Amino acid sequence: MAESLTLPATGVGGRSASGWLVFARTTRAAARSGLLWGYVFAITVASSALGYSSAYKTLAQRQGLVAAFGSNAGLDAIVGPAHQLQTVPGYTAWKCLMWLSLLGAAWGILTATRLTRGEEDAGRWELLLAGGTTRRWAAAQAAGGLGAGLAVLWALTAVATAVVGRSSRVGIGVRPALFFGLTAVCGAVMFAAVGLVTSQLASTRRQAATYAAAVLGAAFAVRMVADSGLGLAWLRWASPLGWIEELQPLTGSRLLALIPILGWTFIFVGAAVFLARNRDVGAGLVGTRQAPSPRYRLLSNPIGLAARLGLGSAGSWAAGIGAMAFIVGLVAKQAGRALTASSSMERALARMSVGGSGAATYMGVGFLIVALMAAAAAAGQISAIRAEEAQGRIDNLLVRPVSRSRWLGGRLVVAVGVQIGFGLVAGLLGWLGCATEHTGLGFGTAVVSGLNSVIPAICLLGAGAAFLGALPRAATALTYGLLAWALLVGVVGGAIGSNHWVLDTSFFHQTPPAPAAAVDWQSATVLAGLAVVLAFLGSRALNRRDLAED
Amino acid sequence: MDSVAAVRTEGLSKQYGKVTALGDLNLEISPGEVFGYLGPNGAGKTTTVRLLLGLIRPSAGRAEIFGLDCQRQAVEAHRHLSYVPGEASLWPALTGLETLHLLARTHGRSDPAYRDELIARFDFDPSKKVRAYSKGNRQKLLLIAGLMARPDLLVLDEPTAGLDPLMEQVFRNCIEEARSRGQAVLLSSHIMSEVEALCDRVGILRGGRLVDLGTMAELRHLSAVTVEATFDGLVPDLSGTPGVSAIQVVGPVLRCQVKGDIAPLLSALSVAGVHHLMSREPSLEELFLAHYGAAPELAPVGG
Repeated sequence: MAESLTLPATGVGGRSASGWLVFARTTRAAARSGLLWGYVFAITVASSALGYSSAYKTLAQRQGLVAAFGSNAGLDAIVGPAHQLQTVPGYTAWKCLMWLSLLGAAWGILTATRLTRGEEDAGRWELLLAGGTTRRWAAAQAAGGLGAGLAVLWALTAVATAVVGRSSRVGIGVRPALFFGLTAVCGAVMFAAVGLVTSQLASTRRQAATYAAAVLGAAFAVRMVADSGLGLAWLRWASPLGWIEELQPLTGSRLLALIPILGWTFIFVGAAVFLARNRDVGAGLVGTRQAPSPRYRLLSNPIGLAARLGLGSAGSWAAGIGAMAFIVGLVAKQAGRALTASSSMERALARMSVGGSGAATYMGVGFLIVALMAAAAAAGQISAIRAEEAQGRIDNLLVRPVSRSRWLGGRLVVAVGVQIGFGLVAGLLGWLGCATEHTGLGFGTAVVSGLNSVIPAICLLGAGAAFLGALPRAATALTYGLLAWALLVGVVGGAIGSNHWVLDTSFFHQTPPAPAAAVDWQSATVLAGLAVVLAFLGSRALNRRDLAED
Repeated sequence: MDSVAAVRTEGLSKQYGKVTALGDLNLEISPGEVFGYLGPNGAGKTTTVRLLLGLIRPSAGRAEIFGLDCQRQAVEAHRHLSYVPGEASLWPALTGLETLHLLARTHGRSDPAYRDELIARFDFDPSKKVRAYSKGNRQKLLLIAGLMARPDLLVLDEPTAGLDPLMEQVFRNCIEEARSRGQAVLLSSHIMSEVEALCDRVGILRGGRLVDLGTMAELRHLSAVTVEATFDGLVPDLSGTPGVSAIQVVGPVLRCQVKGDIAPLLSALSVAGVHHLMSREPSLEELFLAHYGAAPELAPVGG
């Protein structure tokens, strides 16, 4: 069911009120979302700064940290190079920047594609274009509206940094705080612009988000290689994420890197506006070719359909996860040596349940990132399941001899199968990376570690299923919210030593990062069982309610 | 199977908060019957259809499809029916033929020869991807998907939205054939001529309540007949004549409606020296509008 729209009356002369409707709608939605994510950004920054100042009080402790992290190519590959780690601002920037850039990039992609291609998919774009606006003007307004959301994100991050920075233990001035806020949202800015372009290229929102995620994956891979200590540091200038690193907020504030960031943003926004006129509304510029002959493979039942619809997206995620695991495997040996030499590093990692030493420890951190990627993919899978109901496509199946339980169960079976595939790909390619450098990680250990890393994602799928059953219209937001919470508590909270009651609410914290720690089969069984119970409850709730279209 | 009603509802109701979308619906549709379901937007037609399909839960009452409870035995009930919605929401990445294949396999009834015949009759190109189809072509796709299973019951919710007149005629032929095969049809529609031409019985909904139900003859029997009389001299004043209403006078021509016994009107007309007299039963549209208090200006009887 289409959302109701109130179209203001068209004025006479100049742009009518309805000519700004896209801007108003996009601004409202983007600002609301920016507010929510801004809190996550703010909490991340504040907890990092305060956590460091309380965990590393003495100079000796901080020097120990510098020794471990200051020139560790392996860790640099994951979170970027560290500068001035002996200071709170230096640590805060190193700890938060890459995470927030990736989180912001994901937000930018999801928000841009939702508010442009998603609106088009829902048929609301046509209503707006029938009013006093053109396709290009509408695309420009959507970009402007996204800017409002980005401004909210920046403001909350900057204010949190400035407020925390006033503490004598932290010591971050207002201007550096404002610049840090700007740096933290650069990922969101650049990839929102990418999302605007892919929304013009793709035929569906999901496809647009997948294309943009592929660009993000490539940017991350290039930056990883650049920071891996392989003598390819110049490659940092070839990646948008590398440009963000080059800004060096709170430790140097190099403005030069703003040039490519601004250039990238303007080029992508300009391209989106330009392309908006060169296609039919509802169609994309790519992927609209007609199939030469029908392909009936998998189209025999709802499970097969779910597999076929999710194949493209799963392939993209698998490629990203595989590339990530391979690169981590490649640099594990070198990175592991530095980790072994640091007792303070050992303590910090221990709080994240990462133990052991050497390459295995490093691989544990690597598989933790795989776990985050798999969980993000799981949230996307829940979003895709919800879209089937929200847009009424599920009706085509449920008016045939297909029960709701079978439909949801089929979707979840496929989603879990895809997650297991991610685990196998991560294990296999992680092992391959290690084997290339003769790191000595066993094949079986690597595969089990890979599979262990997708347990949080499977747990999230169960929770998402429960949300789908009980609160369908909020299911996507709740699933992403739970992911953000688990990420915040399990990764950030773990590193700063939060209360164990809080830590226990995160499924990341409940999954020891093998091979750095032994796989906790009991915990894995409990999490998998919890997922099954939640999915069952979700299925029961789905059976007992009305279908809920948007 | 013939002894069981294709559709039976008892006190079927649906509340959304304080709003009654459907109230106390008692309805029975027999196998082989084409039943027209009329009502303006928001009257409760789609709510009824979604309750019958088990997509939403009733607030009170129950519904059965061929004796199977629409909620508790939805899967079994769905083996007997096909549903064609008025608004197509399909998978944009699949082609027309892939969609038909999927829906046929999911239904469990598949007759490729009949499917191909329907594709030809509806002049439908199944090779394109769904996202490339116009609204009319998406509707054709849904109609073919619904008809090709040859189900015992067709549930059609404004099925011809977006179809051109030629395709509308093809659709009518298909429904006639379905009736002749003994299939029951629930046709929810805004198009009066379509319902009048196809349906054995008609139900009219108003504000979620069934306000009229019967065959066209039964509905007309209880409704006013339109009379048009032409006089040589002065047009008489018939306002006091029993059963006569909606009097209009244009020159020597008088138009009015008469309900119940027509004898008092005929007596008055013969006394006044009527020159020419015609009468016409109300159209379904007039019957429908009468229920909504928006009776149209009387059309010429011969028009």
